[in-house]
Amino acid sequence: MKPVELASSLFSSTRDRAFPLSLVAVLTLFVLWLPDFWTFLFISALTTGLIALSVGIVYGRARMVSLCQFSFAAVGAWVVGWLNVNYNLPFVVMILVGGLAAVPLGALIGLLSLRLRGINLAVATLGFAAATIVYLRQTPFPGSFNGQFVERPAAFSSENRFFLLCAVVFAAVVSLVGYLDRRRVGRAWLAVRYSERATAAVGMSVARVKLAAFSLGAFVAAVGGGLLVGQNGIVSLRSFEPFDSLLIFAVAALTGARYVDGAIGAGLLGAILPELFRRWGIPLDVAPMLFGVGAIYVLSQGAEGAHGQLREQWRARRASRGLPTEGTGPARVPEPAGSESGPAFPPSGRGGRGTANRAGQPVLAIGGLTVRYGAVVALDRVDIDILPGTVHGLIGPNGAGKSTLIDTVTGFVEPAAGRVLLEGSAIDRLPVHKRARAGVRRTFQQGRAIPDLTVGQYLQLAGGRPEEFEDLLVFMDCPPVDRRISEIDMARRRPVEVAASLLGRPRVVLLDEPGAGLAEDESAALARRIADIPERFGCAVLLVEHDMTMVVGACDGITVLDFGETIASGPVDKVLEDPRVVEAYLGVPIEGVSS
Amino acid sequence: MLLYRMAGVLNFSIAVFGAFGAFIMVSLFERGLPFGLAIAVGVLAGLALSAAMGAVMAALFPDTDPITRSVVTIGMAISLFAVAFRIFGDRPRSFPPLFPSVSYTVSGVSLKLSGMVALGLASVLAFAIWLFLRRTRIGVQVAAMSTRSTTAELLGIPVRSYTVAIWALAGAIATMAPILAAPTRQADFTSLGLLVVPALAAALLGSFHSLGLTVVAGLGIGVLEAMAVRWPAVSTWRTTLPFFVILVVLLWRQRGEVWDEAR
Repeated sequence: MKPVELASSLFSSTRDRAFPLSLVAVLTLFVLWLPDFWTFLFISALTTGLIALSVGIVYGRARMVSLCQFSFAAVGAWVVGWLNVNYNLPFVVMILVGGLAAVPLGALIGLLSLRLRGINLAVATLGFAAATIVYLRQTPFPGSFNGQFVERPAAFSSENRFFLLCAVVFAAVVSLVGYLDRRRVGRAWLAVRYSERATAAVGMSVARVKLAAFSLGAFVAAVGGGLLVGQNGIVSLRSFEPFDSLLIFAVAALTGARYVDGAIGAGLLGAILPELFRRWGIPLDVAPMLFGVGAIYVLSQGAEGAHGQLREQWRARRASRGLPTEGTGPARVPEPAGSESGPAFPPSGRGGRGTANRAGQPVLAIGGLTVRYGAVVALDRVDIDILPGTVHGLIGPNGAGKSTLIDTVTGFVEPAAGRVLLEGSAIDRLPVHKRARAGVRRTFQQGRAIPDLTVGQYLQLAGGRPEEFEDLLVFMDCPPVDRRISEIDMARRRPVEVAASLLGRPRVVLLDEPGAGLAEDESAALARRIADIPERFGCAVLLVEHDMTMVVGACDGITVLDFGETIASGPVDKVLEDPRVVEAYLGVPIEGVSS
Repeated sequence: MLLYRMAGVLNFSIAVFGAFGAFIMVSLFERGLPFGLAIAVGVLAGLALSAAMGAVMAALFPDTDPITRSVVTIGMAISLFAVAFRIFGDRPRSFPPLFPSVSYTVSGVSLKLSGMVALGLASVLAFAIWLFLRRTRIGVQVAAMSTRSTTAELLGIPVRSYTVAIWALAGAIATMAPILAAPTRQADFTSLGLLVVPALAAALLGSFHSLGLTVVAGLGIGVLEAMAVRWPAVSTWRTTLPFFVILVVLLWRQRGEVWDEAR
């Protein structure tokens, strides 16, 4: 695969976007042809669509239930009205300022999401929506007393022109969101919904990712609110009731507002359907009823909304037509491990395995590490030094504290005592994502590659550049970049996760049972690759594994834990002969060994 | 609250079920049905409605993540609001007082009889549920179900029928709440349905774990609201007051929850 192809498959949205773009073009022409009354409704559809899109960012992408998007819209509307009364600014500037004004508020609500999740967050945001409406009831909309309405700019005064303006703003917002989607932060939105730990482990700050989602959501919703003012000249508070936020949330969940077409669909449903009902003599309150029932039905089919499901079917059909499916290996046959293909990556800019390390200073020095969960001592004064250029094994029965050790070194668990040095400098005080950036990467025992991303997107999230991917994937015998991780079976996701951990120039990677679930020959091959990691990537490895053939095949040194204590440490063959190790594994004392 | 503890999902729509039942009660009463009978029918209606929704939940979302389930209850709430507007209209109803409006004055604070009955009933219910969960076999099974639905099903616990039963029970309780509370509040359907808000606030304060704490929290919020009426600067905000309280408490309680549950 050539880099260009690679890049286009990584950012495959050109194809994904062609459909909504043409849809927008056709719709636009159609709307311009309609009489003013209908054009007006389609303007509403676009503003509503923007608010649905904001739900698509906060809920659709990052899976945070926010029931106050109309409050952000109210902020945008209010600011536009206020600017209109007090300053003489161009309309588009006022909308932009209105949008930006909601950003701090969005970030503030986003702060709540750092501790409140799921329904708790939903209730908190609904409370914010209720508080906003109380505030708005007391403070009249700027200009509403003295009749200073927001005038549409002269160039956009007719319904058709104003519709075009809205369409352009909508397209601009969609491009902004699309741009961010293809950035690391966009990949991270899909990652936090799956696992916050995995997001932090690749070096992304969970707090920033969530705040970014809420801020962007608030901005988009507030832009929608600003347009609403321009459309009507003045807005009634009834447009920003908490119930509206609930309703748009349900509609967005129904159509799948994570996608542009889903957001437009939500706007159309919200704005056009009631009018159609009015014409057909169907009572208006049937609409919310349908939205509620529809949302329930769609959710029972899958979490991504109607458009998400259409896309899934589309993907499936495309996959069944010729494109490679499950089980086809990497883009190229991997070279036999150990062959001289040279390091795929130059060692890190800081001199890599050269300079300081020659003196025998460990890459990672774990000293006296003690972890207690209540009365249980999970780790008891564990010392491990991982030397540069080595693979160090960490074995022990279930519950010995292996994963706890990785959790502690990477910052997920606070130790009761002990220290962790990375190349001589203490990293104990750093939060998880900073440790990851400093050069300590990990994988998870449960397999935490992000299912919503493709292999390439996941590697991008992990901090890699597209030109690095191909060699890496071939080396780790992974599926190609455009394969969705959700389509890869669990055991084969682990090598992808290992590959991701090697990006961003780590000094040491901590691999938690990367071979779980692999067949014997596959895990032997994986062991050879892991043994090659120090040579190729200039980083040391701590390998937690149950599979002894893998440990023997990959490791230079080994440490055995049992009930949180180090019972043996040293070269592989010596340690495995140690009677205490045998006892720990078999659970019975061996004759002739005194305890 | 009850639902969260028992069925692993907090219900956005529960207060709407309750309001539904209460309005049926009022409508029947206005048509001349005896008060007691109207209440019985209303509570039964709330129960049936809630049970039906519980059945939908059990049938369509047996093993879905809690967030999706919560979104489903949001959908239910919206639909039911719409249905209720259809049936009952947006006109406030006057609820017949359940108890004579007698007040007792205890050291300067006047207590309404209805308030005291509500308090007593809430405490009794909370205690009964607590006993049920702790002391009976079914209680333990239900608790197991709320944490690991699939595992519970594999152990032979009739997950579906339990779910429906719990929803039904919650619906009945939720119907009684507005019947008790309505005389002190404006009684149009929206405000009753949005009783969910303070109710959730109470549940959140109890952090979904301690039922006793929830009752105390619910009462505390009620008292706070009542006090705020007398304090002009705050009184306009009194409906949102519970939020600021719960937000602070909730953030304090959750301060250790740095990571989500996915490991």
